[in-house]
Amino acid sequence: MTQPVLSAEKVVKGYTLGGETIPVLRGVDFQVHAGEMVALLGASGAGKSTLLHVLGLLDPPDSGRILLAGQPVHDLPIRERAAIRHRQIGFVFQFYHLIPELTALQNVLLGRMMLTRPLAWLRERRAARARAVQLLESVGLGKRLRHRPAQLSGGERQRVAIARALIARPRVILADEPTGNLDSHTAAEVLEILFRIHREEGISFVLVTHNAELAARCHRIVRMKDGLVLG
Amino acid sequence: MYRLFLALHYLLSRPIHLLGMGGVMLGVWALILVVSIFSGFLREVRAHVQSATSDLTVFRLRWPTTYRGLEQRLAEDANVAATAPRLVWYGLLHPIERPGAAPAPQEDLPTRADARFVSLIGIDPASERPVSGIERWLGDVTEPRLRVAQPADPLPRNAELPGILLSRTRMQRENLVAGARVRLTLARMNAVNGEQQLHFLDREFQVAGAFTTKHVGFDESNAFVPIDTLRAMLAEGEGAVVNEVAVRLVDPADARATVERVRRALLRDHPGVMVMTWEQRNEIYLQAIGHQGSIMKLILFVIMVVATFLVFATLSMMVVEKTRDIGILTAMGATPAGVLQVFLTCGLAVTTVGTVLGILAGCLSAFYLDAFRSWMKAAFGIDLFPTSVYHLERVPYDLDPLWIAQVVGASLVLGLLAAGIPAWRAARHDPLRSLRYE
Ligand SMILES: Nc1ncnc2c1ncn2[C@@H]1O[C@H](COP(=O)(O)OP(=O)(O)O)[C@@H](O)[C@H]1O
Ligand SMILES: [Mg+2]
Repeated sequence: MTQPVLSAEKVVKGYTLGGETIPVLRGVDFQVHAGEMVALLGASGAGKSTLLHVLGLLDPPDSGRILLAGQPVHDLPIRERAAIRHRQIGFVFQFYHLIPELTALQNVLLGRMMLTRPLAWLRERRAARARAVQLLESVGLGKRLRHRPAQLSGGERQRVAIARALIARPRVILADEPTGNLDSHTAAEVLEILFRIHREEGISFVLVTHNAELAARCHRIVRMKDGLVLG
Repeated sequence: MYRLFLALHYLLSRPIHLLGMGGVMLGVWALILVVSIFSGFLREVRAHVQSATSDLTVFRLRWPTTYRGLEQRLAEDANVAATAPRLVWYGLLHPIERPGAAPAPQEDLPTRADARFVSLIGIDPASERPVSGIERWLGDVTEPRLRVAQPADPLPRNAELPGILLSRTRMQRENLVAGARVRLTLARMNAVNGEQQLHFLDREFQVAGAFTTKHVGFDESNAFVPIDTLRAMLAEGEGAVVNEVAVRLVDPADARATVERVRRALLRDHPGVMVMTWEQRNEIYLQAIGHQGSIMKLILFVIMVVATFLVFATLSMMVVEKTRDIGILTAMGATPAGVLQVFLTCGLAVTTVGTVLGILAGCLSAFYLDAFRSWMKAAFGIDLFPTSVYHLERVPYDLDPLWIAQVVGASLVLGLLAAGIPAWRAARHDPLRSLRYE
């Protein structure tokens, strides 16, 4: 078996509310391998989003480890964790989270300039732009480059968000109910794009979904219940 | 790069920030323009005061002090170029006759109810000329009816009556012309049988002509008479008495050090003597004007504070709105420090642009103020700055780079505060909150 790209070992995570700790993840083991597409299923409140945040180094675990290509990364300094998020991990969320002031193209470019210094950006700008345009074309938005999120439909916004997650060439994409807010027809379109990207780019995916049919198309299904991964 | 990029786009899509920028601009503009006019004005006033005062003045001399010994002592100092004896006294001036003017009904009133207080300076014109600006003060009077007949010898000894030089403003106000006769009343204490008694002295003078310095306060109170005449009235038989000596320096820049040296040299023979530079002599007057300047700066600074609140308010509003973006920015690789910098950049950009525009506006309006004033006067008959009151030819201004730097510094510090607080709040916002709840 190959080494997992990203894995969680015995991750425990709880939230303290009014002096009382609510356990959300209660010793989760989870791996995603290179080029693998994992579906993460579970009832609402099972802890899927929390696991994704912990895996994506957005939220530190209370105990347990997060390994990236075999290396523990959960206790790295804040700047290094931010850099890993930028270089290795792409996020897609249910609610797109596009910046309303920026055009589709600028939103995608933003995903590329997070760690670049202004002077270096002057040199990299052209290449980055060309790639952003190419990504937007590949998700079918080649004609909507200059539109702002408010001028785009839900499906189009999510496609911009997918292009943005891809521009820094991550190893893993963590997608939290990416179609949860879309009607079934649009959702199908967006999912086709995700599967195509997976095929073409060989990026690993963790896909949180409620859709059993969609889960069936993934390599592996992981079910969660009450903060635990089921056998 | 994302910090600059986001800050720019956040700002550009929110015209409300123009409000804060305009406020900062207004504050900087006012601080630069008004203060530069004021310091220009202060510079002119100082020059005027200086032109009416000798480099050094020696005073508080014991009565009777004769000039000769003093003159020699003073001449020993290397920085002393020339000295002039003065006898300063106070009196009441009463016009008797105004040639060319209609006789006023109260002219024969024995009460002298229209007598005016005057500070008399007894001078020796020949010694005075190299020390003070008296030649210029006389020459600057252009009205033929007020001018001194012989500027080279303004107070001739052999005249029928002793001469008196009055200020142009006084002559105009009293409706006097050269040649008019006036009466002076002086008083001094005399010991009579061991008892101090006040004695009045009365003498007629003929107005020799007018003088004018640019120091309004000096002209307002002073008049010149021949020192010999004054001595004859006040110090009969006491010799060449002086109670003040005007000194011209070789190097006026070295005045402060010279004051100390001269004072020490004189102190042995003249206990209690005081020596002052022109600046020290007018210190209270100059300081009073300077204080007005400080108060004005304080008032204008309030505009800056208000502008800072504007920046703070608009930026806080924006941060509340933009906390939604913090989640995705963090997911893409931003740190709290990076988030802080995004909003700090916004605030600093607003302040910096406002400050730069304010400096430009301030400098340009100072340059073109006089043109603007002339235009206002020609077009609407409104004189914004009555310059003639202060003997100014134009609206003065003094653009002091240090002051501009101070304004810039203050503005940036305020901007940093205004931006820092909302930016700090943004940085402390939990990015997961933005991601979980839409
Ligand atoms: N910040 C928080 N404070 C308290 N409880 C939280 C917080 N975030 C998540 N939870 C709780 O953790 C549990 C799991 O949430 P989540 O991971 O979003 O589940 P899922 O994505 O599977 O629906 C829920 O019961 C939720 O109420
Ligand atoms: Mg969830």
